[in-house]
Amino acid sequence: MELFKKILIANRGEIAVRVIRACKELGIKTVAVYSDVEKESLHVRLADEAICIGPASSAQSYLNIPGILSAAEVTDSEAVHPGYGFLSENPHFAEACATSGITFIGPTPENIRVGGDKAKARQVMKRRGIPVVPGSDGPVSSEEMVMKVAKKIGFPVIIKASAGGGGRGMRIVKEESGLEQAFYMAQREALAAFGNGELYVEQYIPEMRHIEVQIAADSKGNTVHFGERDCSIQRRHQKLIEEAPSPISTEKFRKKIGELAVKAARAIKYRNVGTMEFIVDTAGNIYFMEINTRIQVEHPVTEMVSGVDLIKEQIKLAAGALIEYKQHQIKFHGHAIECRINAEDPDRFIPHPGKITFLSLPGGPGVRVDTAAYSGWTVPSHYDSLIAKLVVHGVNRQEAISKMTRALDEFIIEGIKTTIPFHRKVFSHPDFVNGEFNTGFVDRINGSGKPGSTGEETQ
Amino acid sequence: MELDDLKGLIELLKDTDITEVQIEKDGNKVKIRREKRLSSIELTKPVVVHEKPAAEPAEDIQKLVTVTSPIVGTFYRSSSPDSDAFVQTGTSVKKGQVLCIIEAMKLMNEIESEVEGVIVRILVENGHSVEYGEPLFLIEPVQ
Repeated sequence: MELFKKILIANRGEIAVRVIRACKELGIKTVAVYSDVEKESLHVRLADEAICIGPASSAQSYLNIPGILSAAEVTDSEAVHPGYGFLSENPHFAEACATSGITFIGPTPENIRVGGDKAKARQVMKRRGIPVVPGSDGPVSSEEMVMKVAKKIGFPVIIKASAGGGGRGMRIVKEESGLEQAFYMAQREALAAFGNGELYVEQYIPEMRHIEVQIAADSKGNTVHFGERDCSIQRRHQKLIEEAPSPISTEKFRKKIGELAVKAARAIKYRNVGTMEFIVDTAGNIYFMEINTRIQVEHPVTEMVSGVDLIKEQIKLAAGALIEYKQHQIKFHGHAIECRINAEDPDRFIPHPGKITFLSLPGGPGVRVDTAAYSGWTVPSHYDSLIAKLVVHGVNRQEAISKMTRALDEFIIEGIKTTIPFHRKVFSHPDFVNGEFNTGFVDRINGSGKPGSTGEETQ
Repeated sequence: MELDDLKGLIELLKDTDITEVQIEKDGNKVKIRREKRLSSIELTKPVVVHEKPAAEPAEDIQKLVTVTSPIVGTFYRSSSPDSDAFVQTGTSVKKGQVLCIIEAMKLMNEIESEVEGVIVRILVENGHSVEYGEPLFLIEPVQ
């Protein structure tokens, strides 16, 4: 079938490189956009064409909808791939693309709206009989409402921002006395970070696993899943290490959680590629948490165990291709783990941009590195600190761990501080090696001392 | 070896593919090496949307004000195909005077001069696309 002739990648860094790679393999011409401080970046070099769309600040460049649409127009790009972050979950952008006659590679604007309203997504799923984390039925607009919910489901609870993400606008409330402050702090933070102070409440499950399922759906509603990913190694709700399959997964578990994910996708008529996030408690109960209506950072681990190229799937589905294969034809092999390497101090996770004076990437069988870094490149300070994803694949988890340990030793980045030492610490920790970890793991091995900590636990 | 000699050498090397050169003269040894990024991989440079013409050495660039594009779009010298261009080389312009239109997403954006002066060069052809920061005009400001 006829795919697009030219795609504009509305993103930067490693994901822009990733999308350009998929396009090149599909014979599609690529257009990179960049801010005026990123002229020397790798995604600009690899694309067929490149356009500067604004100054360094994200708001004026990678979030600049008119600038990006104008760039698509002057280059005759037929489609835009939004990557992750930036405009990928902005329903206005998705709509603006449609209005301009440009295909947005991703789900529908309505899917994005539902996904972006976490309180609403919970309600929709609950109504469809999908188990959700116990909590408020929709948003809460006052501390009294939070109190009512807390009394019903019991403390501790967690107050979250409806429009939120990345761990901001969240506060754990251990008991009644902490409620008022938590409510107002969460609201203020949500308003500042997302322009929307709406909150909802969930039961707080301290020893939980964060397990998500990759799904894809075509225009006819054929929906499949590509298995689960365990993303429980997090710090302040930011994922650091992800793996597929989950160490606690069995064929039965995967079938169960996979079917729930497909059901959830059908419930909102989801289109294209996306992820359903769940929380699994120590008893193995699965609860829906939220939907991610975009390709995710950790998509490589699913690619490594299933053999699918998720970016190519996104492009094909956006061009109108149908999912010809059936669920039972999707097979999983071996075990994959990803470490996110950030330009940060490995102990306190403070961002550390600067010039990479020497870079040597690991290699060998079963090792994949997704990065836009190169020797001599200056990590800009204006954007996120992710500089590379180190992904390994082994026949089983043990082999994957030994490969990751070896690859982390081979990875040399000089000139800036990175979180590689942190990852080395994790991979030598018995709890991680035994698969016994949950979202409390990082704080346990690192101590809770965080820069700029408000003194409250965020989890 | 004098500083001027070194400067001359470096200038000479700039336009070549030479990556390392070592010179001995009167007992002095000098080695000049070019740092290469992404060495040993020939990456085709992307086609920038618009080819930027090299400025002629005749102009004293230091004195001139460069008007750059604040947006991505298509550059037009006049408000419509039938009307006259807003400015030509040699036109005197006042601060706030419209120099050109950049069309983006069907919206016409008037680009105004920030200075009073004379148009020395027009750097983009009518109907060509421009990116953020792209030089459009060189203006010699009045003192």
